[in-house]
Amino acid sequence: MAMHDTGKRPWTFWFFAAFFVLFVIFLYGPMFVVYVLSFQGESGGLTFPMNGVSTKWFGELVNPDSRSGDIASSFNRSIGLGAMVACITVFLSVAAGLGFRRRFFGSGVLFYIAIASLIMPGLFIGLGINVFFSELGWEPDWTTSGLGAQLTWTLPFGLLIMFAVLGRFNRSYEEAARDLGATPWQRMKEVTLPILLPGIIGVALFGFTLSYDEFARTVLVSGTENTLPITIWAMTTNVTSPALYALGTVTTLVSFFVVGAALGSIGLISRRRRVSRGDST
Amino acid sequence: MNAPTNGNGRIEVMNVTKKFRDTTAVANLSLNIDHGSYCCLLGPSGCGKTTILRMIAGHESPSSGDVRIGGQSVVGLDPVQRGTAMMFQSYALFPHRSVIENVGFALKMRGLGKDDRNAKARELLEKVHMEKFANRLPAELSGGQQQRVALARALITNPRVLLLDEPLSALDEYLRLRMRGELRRVQKELGITFIHVTHTQLEAIAVADVVVVMTQGRIEQAATARDIYTAPRSAYVARFIGGQNVLTGRVESTGGGMATVRNAEGALAQFPLGKSSPAKGAELFAAIRRDRIHLTKNNTYRNGEETNAAVGIVHAIENQGTYVKVTLDLNTSEEFVAYVPDGEYFRDPIDIGDRVVARWDAQDLHLLEDGSGGQQFAAADKDVALM
Repeated sequence: MAMHDTGKRPWTFWFFAAFFVLFVIFLYGPMFVVYVLSFQGESGGLTFPMNGVSTKWFGELVNPDSRSGDIASSFNRSIGLGAMVACITVFLSVAAGLGFRRRFFGSGVLFYIAIASLIMPGLFIGLGINVFFSELGWEPDWTTSGLGAQLTWTLPFGLLIMFAVLGRFNRSYEEAARDLGATPWQRMKEVTLPILLPGIIGVALFGFTLSYDEFARTVLVSGTENTLPITIWAMTTNVTSPALYALGTVTTLVSFFVVGAALGSIGLISRRRRVSRGDST
Repeated sequence: MNAPTNGNGRIEVMNVTKKFRDTTAVANLSLNIDHGSYCCLLGPSGCGKTTILRMIAGHESPSSGDVRIGGQSVVGLDPVQRGTAMMFQSYALFPHRSVIENVGFALKMRGLGKDDRNAKARELLEKVHMEKFANRLPAELSGGQQQRVALARALITNPRVLLLDEPLSALDEYLRLRMRGELRRVQKELGITFIHVTHTQLEAIAVADVVVVMTQGRIEQAATARDIYTAPRSAYVARFIGGQNVLTGRVESTGGGMATVRNAEGALAQFPLGKSSPAKGAELFAAIRRDRIHLTKNNTYRNGEETNAAVGIVHAIENQGTYVKVTLDLNTSEEFVAYVPDGEYFRDPIDIGDRVVARWDAQDLHLLEDGSGGQQFAAADKDVALM
């Protein structure tokens, strides 16, 4: 080509760079403000300036008699619910993913029915479940209707992740196991599940985090006891202390911890196994 | 723990058909493989060779027909009950298990204790010279090392038949040549049946006692490696294996066990007839080994006067080390190749574009039963020389 590369970037570079800077400011700026304000002094308020520095607001979170409500219980509830959702999602998505590897009559229709709940408005799913429960005379509770509502959200996600995971899974591992005398159960336990483990951890992580901050589907069906996002929502309307910010900081730390642990273990497993493609394929 | 240890590994595939939905992968195929022989299933991709292998292994069941090992039908049996073991194309070593765990896997499935299975696995690893790598993961091994581990893993159950699906295709050229020798050595040592699927002609010829050339779900020819190379049954085999040129022509006259045949260009050749007695004007096909053709530059040849000769223009020359591969354009649809010994070639080299006469001895011709098929492997490709 006749033109020399002068090192001058096209205008699209600057356009998208500016967009990205805005994105970063919008994402991390407000969060950063929340983290800082959660260390507000004892007599400080919801806004700047900082009136000294304290950890008083963190203490208030674990005090069930404080005016911000029983946050510790909500937190425990959300962790418990997240764990339940993660377990059920892993179990069902892995089973369904393995089942869908074989085409069967109606598999396409079944798949779309399962995925459809991703596009339905969450609030209406919650509303529907609420109405359904009251018609049957059942009491909504976070362990029943709440759990069910969240599963309508996490199961399709889990299934889609398993499709991606299984798409890269070489079936000759299973055939090799069979060739070496493994029973179907041994094959599953000794070969298929261990090889799929990083993907399964990913499904669990998704299940947990989707549940942990799920609001729309849960708000109408959690019954008399609230999950953490609902408690936080309630606090924003009636709590006027920096305890709200302290809660934001703590929940963010929990999320980071969960995500970090999951990604860390996936990374560890795949580093241990990394196939040297150079001369083997 | 009642593993059939090295029983009779004679294989009989009887009238087997295998259909996948609408496509027929294997069509009414029968094949016998003697116990203790090294058999190669050879053919282009999609010819059904891997399907045959998988049906013998028990990873696929025939739509109809029977598969017998050691005289007994094995249809519906698990691989372990069959006494077969398979080595997969990409080896399928379990990535989360160390080399020794991979090799001992079959014993673990049978409930053997850790010490016992590690001792046996170590024995197998020594056999393939991999004992030093026992605690490595497959990812930490080279392709050749992975193949040895896969071999050890497959042999730990003392199978009577080892099935190898393209065992060398993942290796580079140097390792491929080394490992094929090693496979042959292991097979001789164990004395069990090996069935090796490949699409590489020379690989099959090099390792196998019996080569089975397949196309479109059928067997084109099953014979010793030497016969496949020197006495192809059909033009398909001759063209696919590649060591022969296929000549075509119509019978002018017969006599003395020979037919005089003229091709479309008017060139004359004598085809040995064997038992057949074709009518005048019948179309015959014969193969001539490429290393039995003599090229000369002199121009005394007259088309239609001299027999067992043809004239053409040189359009490609490839030095193969011990011989030179000279491709001629005889003005037919099929390439015509001569393998000229290097000494002979370099005494009087020829060039691309030269007009040369190819001559051969009628005794080196081999009459073919079937002239159709395999054109894709021997089509005259006149553009190649221009590149």
